[in-house]
Amino acid sequence: MAGALTLPVPTTGARRRPVPGNRHWLLLRAGGVLFVLWAAATITFFALRLVPGDPAEAILGGPGSQAGPEALAQVRREYGLDQPLVVQYLTYLGRLVTGDLGQSYSLHKPVLTAIGEQFGATLTLALVSLALAWALACALAAWSVRGGRVAWAIGSGLELVAAAVPHFWLATVLILFFSLTLGILPPVSVPGPLGIVLPALTMAIPLAGFLGQVMRESLLTAMESPFVTTARARGESEVRIFWRHTLRHAAIPAVGLSGWAFGSLISGAVVVESVFARQGLGRSLLSAVQLRDVTLVTGIVLVVALAYAVMTLVTDLADRLIDPRTRAVAE
Amino acid sequence: MPSRRFSRPRAAVVVTAAVALLLAACSPGGGATTTEPSGEPVTGGTLTYASGDAEPSCLDPHVGGNYPQALIATQYLESLVSLDEDGEVVPWLATEWDASDDGLEWEFTLRDDVTFTDGTPFDAEAVAANIAHVQDPATASSTGYLALAKIKDVVAVDDHLVRFEMSAPDSALLESLSQVWVAMESPKALERSQEENCAAPVGTGPFVVDTWERQDSVTLVRNDDYNSPPADVAEATEGSDLPYLDSIVWRFIPDSASRYAALQSGEVQVIDNAQPDTIKSAESDDAIEELDAPRPGAANRIELNSGKAPFDDERVREAFIRSVNVDDGIQSLFFGTAERSYSPLSSVEPLGLSLPDLFTVDTDAASALLDEAGWDERDADGYRAKDGERLTLDFPVSTNQSIPAEQSLFEQIQADAKTAGFEVKLQPLDLSSWYGVLAENEYDLVSAPYTKVGPDVLRILYHSDSITPAPSGYFANLAQVDDADLDELLTQASAASDAGERASLYEEAQRIILEGYYILPLYDQQNHFLRSSSVQGLRAMPTVSTPTFAGAWLVP
Repeated sequence: MAGALTLPVPTTGARRRPVPGNRHWLLLRAGGVLFVLWAAATITFFALRLVPGDPAEAILGGPGSQAGPEALAQVRREYGLDQPLVVQYLTYLGRLVTGDLGQSYSLHKPVLTAIGEQFGATLTLALVSLALAWALACALAAWSVRGGRVAWAIGSGLELVAAAVPHFWLATVLILFFSLTLGILPPVSVPGPLGIVLPALTMAIPLAGFLGQVMRESLLTAMESPFVTTARARGESEVRIFWRHTLRHAAIPAVGLSGWAFGSLISGAVVVESVFARQGLGRSLLSAVQLRDVTLVTGIVLVVALAYAVMTLVTDLADRLIDPRTRAVAE
Repeated sequence: MPSRRFSRPRAAVVVTAAVALLLAACSPGGGATTTEPSGEPVTGGTLTYASGDAEPSCLDPHVGGNYPQALIATQYLESLVSLDEDGEVVPWLATEWDASDDGLEWEFTLRDDVTFTDGTPFDAEAVAANIAHVQDPATASSTGYLALAKIKDVVAVDDHLVRFEMSAPDSALLESLSQVWVAMESPKALERSQEENCAAPVGTGPFVVDTWERQDSVTLVRNDDYNSPPADVAEATEGSDLPYLDSIVWRFIPDSASRYAALQSGEVQVIDNAQPDTIKSAESDDAIEELDAPRPGAANRIELNSGKAPFDDERVREAFIRSVNVDDGIQSLFFGTAERSYSPLSSVEPLGLSLPDLFTVDTDAASALLDEAGWDERDADGYRAKDGERLTLDFPVSTNQSIPAEQSLFEQIQADAKTAGFEVKLQPLDLSSWYGVLAENEYDLVSAPYTKVGPDVLRILYHSDSITPAPSGYFANLAQVDDADLDELLTQASAASDAGERASLYEEAQRIILEGYYILPLYDQQNHFLRSSSVQGLRAMPTVSTPTFAGAWLVP
């Protein structure tokens, strides 16, 4: 992923910069967002069209249903598939500029409506997973900091394993344990808060491992810094030192990664939403790709790219809040 | 809603309280608990069904027309005729019918007491509107369109008598009309936009589409005025107020393991697309029962592309078929859940012809045939070659249509064929790419399912007309059989009005297909359902083998 690109470079104090600098920064960021959106739309559009296969056949086709010539011609006319590719692309871009994402031919409805129906579910899942991942990562770090060398080793081992576990395998294990053995959680999504637990946990565990790994390094540095010694000297408890001082220090790189993490959660949703039969954009994306529903795929990719860009912006801002250096201190 | 199933503590409290009351109130001879489900239907309750198929993009099976649509539409749409367990055509929305001697005119008498769930009466005009809807290119019907291809005109003779005028005699008309892809919908509802009609088609069936939460579930509720089951069901359930269930939640759970876990945990009561390993493991679970309903039409088979080299030589086709051992693979990969087929037609088709002797493995004979056909060299990798060119077979596999066990079977076939000197190139593809490769004629072997009621499917699959590609490039005759005698037989059979004559024509046609080594039959199109033992009265329609919940109930 492009995760490395979004790593915040703790820049010099923004507050001391004159205001135009900030505006310039924002304009640049906005331009970047637009470029990302255009590139996403273009690449998706052509990638889907260059793969062999006839969208018209896919629209009408399916096991045991062979489309008649008239039906195919009708579909081609209706969706402009009989036009040259370049014309289709330009028409598409033109509509995109006016905010029209087009008509999904596999769903027989506007792409915007289709995404609107599903976006909430994916956003909820991603946010809950992100919160859960943070909670897990912090809890494990807190425990392993207090527990000495052995706990430290166990903690970092767990993080390594968690970060490497694939979603589909984790989902199966969680279903086996929580649904079939214990019988306390539903194996497929159901309305209400119970239904989100397993899907969110599936996405949160690998992410927590990843965040934990990133935090651990700076946690170590922070624990040996003078301010921790000072705090100890003041007689503050280790728990308080962790939550007040070292965690804050250690969290900075991990917060920066949350933007990237959000993007990865949305791609993880493709697997998790299918396994748990949950509503959401990930599932829409999967079936849209299979059906060569170019407008729907591009629409979803655009929305995800936008969410990703916004999230990166938010984490940059959060970074400024957590790290006083980015606000006041000019180096 | 399904979430209630998980409030176990509450249920436990209720049960405990009930037991306490029972103990307190009645003493000796009190508790008449039923351990065995009694045969008496129970009214009420919500059943949750989990489908492994893709969620249909349109709930109206006139549009497009695939199996996932047929599965759900069976619950709310009904056809003019149905089939009984013996495959005999029985009355449904039409009470009787008659064809003219030349087979060019059919008259159907319709029930006069049936109303669509939007209040529109079912009558001759409604039938005409439905046929017109399927035949309208704007509907983009494919399956239904083909099924009704020979209907030229529909005339409402009076309110409840309708006449079909045919462009040619069609011995498969009744079978075609029994399919849910051409079921009857309210003409008033059909006048809505396609988007609206796709979201909630209106029929005469036991249930009504209530809400559709995309990528989650469709909720179907009881049709309180239901009065039109097919004749065989009406007879068997006389005096009952069908359907028994209050509602059905129709879910889409694409992952096979999750689907089975949902059934085991009680989250859902019926699942489809049960995989061989799941079926096997369910055998040892007393709370789960199986319903095996092979689909009608063609058996699953590998088609040998006779339209180009090397399979344009019958000897090479026979050599291939003689050198691969399919039986062992099916046995080990399907755990005995699938039975080997030796027929072009499904085992549920009464006119299917089986010729097992043609498919016995004989590697010596295969070897001799290949030598004779000129493939007598061996290259460095041990493959056979002719004039320095390797004996290579392209085998595109649709991963959407071939289940994992079937894909493994193809790999075993690949290994067997290698021993005989064939290089089989398996190519797993998604549906659109797979269509693309077929359209380009870049295949030597292919497996494509085809579901249709009746032996007329043979005409679609093996008449030389079906080699001519549609504008999309797709064609149904993937074996590219081009045999004038076969064409003649299939054309005669589809026009034959005499049942005996029709049967013998189709038998002869199948003999040509099998003896020409155009296909390697594998097994019926697998269609396994698993249900919780609390579900009673579930059956598969003898038409397209979709389950119907019209007579199903939940044992509390």
